[in-house]
Amino acid sequence: MEHSEHFDKLKNAMIALEKDDVVSITAKSLEVGIEPLEIIENGLLPGLNTIGEMFEDEELFLPELIKSAQIFHGAMDLLQPKIQEMGTNVKKKGTVVIGTVKGDMHYIGKNIVKLLMETSGFDVHDLGVDVDPFAFIVKADEVNADMIALSALLTTTLIGQKDVIEALEGQGKREKYKVLLGGGAVTKAWADDIGADGYAENGYGAVKLAKSFIA
Amino acid sequence: MLDLIEVFERADNGILILDTDYYMNRFVPKLAEIIDRYKIKWDRQTIVNSDDDLADRVFQAAVDLIAEAGAYCPDTNRVMEFTRDEILRAAEQAPQSTRFGEGREAKTMYGRDVDEDSVPWIHVGGGIYTTDEQIFLDTVEGLASINIVDSLSVPSILHLRGKDARVRSPQELLSAIKTVILAREGIRRSGRAGLPIINGISAASNSVSMIAAASPQFGLRPSDGFLIDFLSEMMVNYEALQKVAYFNSISANIGSTSTPLFGGYAGGAEGVAVLATSYFIMGNLIYRGSYHYNAPLHQNLRLSSTKPLLWAIGMSNQANARNMRYPVVNLPYLGGGAGTRMYHHEMAAYMLSVVPAGGNIFSGHPAKSVEPNSLLPRDHQFHAELGLASAKFSRKDANPLAQKFFEKYEKLIKDPTPGFRYEQVYDLKTKKIVNEEYLKIQDEVRVEFKEMGIEVLTS
Repeated sequence: MEHSEHFDKLKNAMIALEKDDVVSITAKSLEVGIEPLEIIENGLLPGLNTIGEMFEDEELFLPELIKSAQIFHGAMDLLQPKIQEMGTNVKKKGTVVIGTVKGDMHYIGKNIVKLLMETSGFDVHDLGVDVDPFAFIVKADEVNADMIALSALLTTTLIGQKDVIEALEGQGKREKYKVLLGGGAVTKAWADDIGADGYAENGYGAVKLAKSFIA
Repeated sequence: MLDLIEVFERADNGILILDTDYYMNRFVPKLAEIIDRYKIKWDRQTIVNSDDDLADRVFQAAVDLIAEAGAYCPDTNRVMEFTRDEILRAAEQAPQSTRFGEGREAKTMYGRDVDEDSVPWIHVGGGIYTTDEQIFLDTVEGLASINIVDSLSVPSILHLRGKDARVRSPQELLSAIKTVILAREGIRRSGRAGLPIINGISAASNSVSMIAAASPQFGLRPSDGFLIDFLSEMMVNYEALQKVAYFNSISANIGSTSTPLFGGYAGGAEGVAVLATSYFIMGNLIYRGSYHYNAPLHQNLRLSSTKPLLWAIGMSNQANARNMRYPVVNLPYLGGGAGTRMYHHEMAAYMLSVVPAGGNIFSGHPAKSVEPNSLLPRDHQFHAELGLASAKFSRKDANPLAQKFFEKYEKLIKDPTPGFRYEQVYDLKTKKIVNEEYLKIQDEVRVEFKEMGIEVLTS
């Protein structure tokens, strides 16, 4: 079987959310000598990209998105040891620290952005909800992040996004990280007003913006 | 029905699990299984369902979802579990009417039946942010002056001395008190002092602010309505239970409130219909609600006027109307800005979806509820009149008309038309409308609606 056939099968199994098939095709691909990074780039990620597009078109929803991420991680469990053996690395598109700002307990929108970013090849570190402004910076420093993504649903919690930017400025790190905003109460005017690098109205927009930051 | 202390103890004694496990191992698979079990399917075309058997299956599915998934308390990381018998008893014992207001304005909101041509409860306004105390007062006075209105949602005013209050701050608590005082004053100026406010309390995001601002010396009464929300999805936190404890202790009207998210853990139209119905039952079971705020929302678009959502919202109303008849108002998040044709078209599709389905009237929230000063009383009068006109339609007759309205704004959903702000339409001294363009649009829309088959009479 040509390598391209393995990749097509893998992509289709991923789109069908068939975990057992994804794992077995991944194993088979390794057996026939395909490089792990090729399996990821040409089989798994194209499947995840299609799932992301289906999510945007409302053909799939959050549960399927979560399942796709779980399946991807299942395949990665097979691939990671081989990658380490070969001394190579999975090339991540970028590293993101994400969370819902202090005082805000809402998480679904943030979770969607996290999943879409992960399945688009970003390394995402999720700090959860009600996150202290300095915690974003500590984590970003720790993982050498490219950007910090801040979610806020409520008008009264928007100020938490400004706090993070202010804290970055206070530590002289504002230029080190791109700051991306999202959430129900956020508008472009607010993002401009507080000096964020970008604002996205939905998860897919957030991924596009994140990609543009590292292009 | 379970006593309240027993309900609270369920949050302390249920199974201990991670929230992600609750969703991925309980809620999501159970909901999918239950939707299959009851063969609940949206045909991707219908906006207003008229299949009674399907509505009843949605209700049964909602009961099963609570019984099999339970709710989740993030403060204790425990699943609040209920037996099928406890759930059914809560549904049976749910109030079918609730008394609001004082004196001459006192009135009863009823849970309506499907295809019922009675006059629905008319609720207008919204908790939208205002930037200025004068605009806040004038908006409330204008809304309360609409003579057919039965209750108000008042906007929120979150700034003190020119600064916005932070969540959980003392300024937020003071803003919540200020909101209540100004709202009551705005209503008094309309000459209808007893008119109920049923979105208590728009500016209070936490239980301390809400309970503080509910103190009677600021003007709210048990005959107003106090909103207690479920966090999306199926989350019941201690803050909500604190409010339940307090507002039940003063025997106030509680508005159980839910915002099931289309595209979130519930998935698409079918999941949202079932979940929204579950929240009605949980509103009685857990919150001892007197009425419900039903506010399903599109996760990405942040509005409720898409075709699958209109179907799901109407379906949840039908499931309730045929099996429980809990008084419900439906909160329309619309994309079009205040005063625009798009806004009115969305509102027409929404009213036709929910009023013949057994829901009560709630005027529209323009511009996804994020544009400040966008509650224009004249819009809300028109939408109340539109709701009354919608009540004359059966579900079967409402569907083709709702489709026509949907077609008018379908292409604009992803990029809605921006609208007007209060200060662009009203003279701030005389409080009269001075924007001719605004008036022209509404006049033309009224004519257009009549030509399309729904005559909206001026009240």
